[in-house]
Amino acid sequence: MLKINGLVSGYGTVQILNGANMKVDTQSIVALLGGNGTGKSTILKACSGLIRAWSGSINFDGQEIHNNPPHKIVERGLVQVTQGKDVFPAMSVIENLRLGGFVLNSKQKLNNNLEKVFNYFPRLNERKNQLAATLSGGELQMLCIGRGLMSDPKMIMLDEPSAALAPQIVLDIFKNINRIRKDGLTVLVVEQNVRMALLLADYGYVIKDGVIKVEGESKKLMYDESVKDSYLGGGGTTANV
Amino acid sequence: MLIFTAIFLGYISMSPDMNIESLKGVLVIGVTVGIIYGLVAVGISLIYTGLDVVNFSHGEFFMIGAFTGLTVYNFLVDGELIYAIFPEAYGVVGYVIGLFFAFVLMGLFGVLIERIFLRPLTKKGGGYTVAGMGIIICGFGLSVILQNIAYLIWNPTAHPFHADLGLPINIAGITLPMTYLWMLVTGFVVAGLLYFFLNKTKMGLGVRAVAFSKDISNLVGINVPLYISIIFGIACALAGIAGTLVGPTYQVVVYMGYIILLKAFASAVVGGFGSLPGAIVGGFTVGLFETACSFFISGSHKDAYAFLLMVVVLLIKPTGFFGVAVKMKA
Repeated sequence: MLKINGLVSGYGTVQILNGANMKVDTQSIVALLGGNGTGKSTILKACSGLIRAWSGSINFDGQEIHNNPPHKIVERGLVQVTQGKDVFPAMSVIENLRLGGFVLNSKQKLNNNLEKVFNYFPRLNERKNQLAATLSGGELQMLCIGRGLMSDPKMIMLDEPSAALAPQIVLDIFKNINRIRKDGLTVLVVEQNVRMALLLADYGYVIKDGVIKVEGESKKLMYDESVKDSYLGGGGTTANV
Repeated sequence: MLIFTAIFLGYISMSPDMNIESLKGVLVIGVTVGIIYGLVAVGISLIYTGLDVVNFSHGEFFMIGAFTGLTVYNFLVDGELIYAIFPEAYGVVGYVIGLFFAFVLMGLFGVLIERIFLRPLTKKGGGYTVAGMGIIICGFGLSVILQNIAYLIWNPTAHPFHADLGLPINIAGITLPMTYLWMLVTGFVVAGLLYFFLNKTKMGLGVRAVAFSKDISNLVGINVPLYISIIFGIACALAGIAGTLVGPTYQVVVYMGYIILLKAFASAVVGGFGSLPGAIVGGFTVGLFETACSFFISGSHKDAYAFLLMVVVLLIKPTGFFGVAVKMKA
């Protein structure tokens, strides 16, 4: 579904990615792991077109997308779901969701997708007329994922869905991510919470200094000492959350 | 704030001119002037929220809008056709067409200016936030250039705008010239349409989204560069229609944009910079305060009152009436 080849990119003149290679198969969940400042979010931004690829290529669903503007990439069916704080706080929940379906042209489809999202997250239905600013952290994350699903994507990329949430809520959200995959979507999840992410994913990549250091089946990665090493820069145990 | 209002009201109530008739007059004129300030201020606020810059050339769009309305009106009324079709109401029809052209042409002109001058600047600076200072200076430069272009086209003399809109009417004991009534009604209609557009249409939803965050808007699939042009266009169209509304009451002259820019700026600040309802409310506040002061205190310092009010409001409530905390800049 998504194929990244020798991706080099960064911000301004600062190079962050030094030739990353990744592959996400259709209907799989792939985890992209790494510490702070290793380039996880940069890969997502390059995929969703927020920053240019300096060299290398990004191929989505058989087409090169690294030169497309962001809204074209959303139209193609690749959507990035941001962290829960990135909502429109002064708009109601339902307006936030409608914005997620901005690329849809028919009202019928919009309403169908709304129903689908409310089916995944009934909490959003209860709160649909509230301002997004009044939601709790978990609900905000649900709203972000729901907004991502509104445009009928083929694949969603989640940027740290577990950030700053209670373990119970993280579990709930991860269950829903699994459900979303079962319904036919492909998922790429960027995480700092290594254990949770590997429990969820089929395959994992560990990124360090802008290149993929380790990759493999998540069951293998879970017990791989080198993951811990590259993740923490050698030694330490706090990765086992 | 309350103390200031009380002192102000106390002072004007002791004025020798104080009676119910003059109070009604001040109220109507103040609201009329206020809606005009409000329309221009909404444009400034829209551009500020959407592009993260303060557009210092906004007054020139107001001025060119007034000239556009005047030119269209004169062109139509000087011809024979409009008399033939509307012998009774040629003035009104001509004026409405003038308003329409001022709105549409200034909108298109705004989009053009944004694409040609502002867009390349922001690309060099790496986005609207970073290039802010450059664009502010560019706004001043643009203002001078536009004034000089208007000077070349329409020459520097003041043009009277003889819109033939009918005789003054009498509402509740106040004799109101038709031009004021047009300002009042059209102003409210335009503000209402803007509210409808922003809150009930898909494009309005997109405008609000882009105004809040360009990054998230990109991620939900909004064509952000297009919407930035739309925001700029709408803001300039509002200024243009405001110009044509004001034209018949005063005169149309190349430097009329300068003072309205400052007044609208004061309105936007009083209402809370960046807030659209705030801009309208700020416009009313400034309009009423200014009219009341120039009627009850002294008309010769008319232009100073708006800024007096702005300073007082800033001292008491630095964010303005509807102000949200200053947006964090990356």
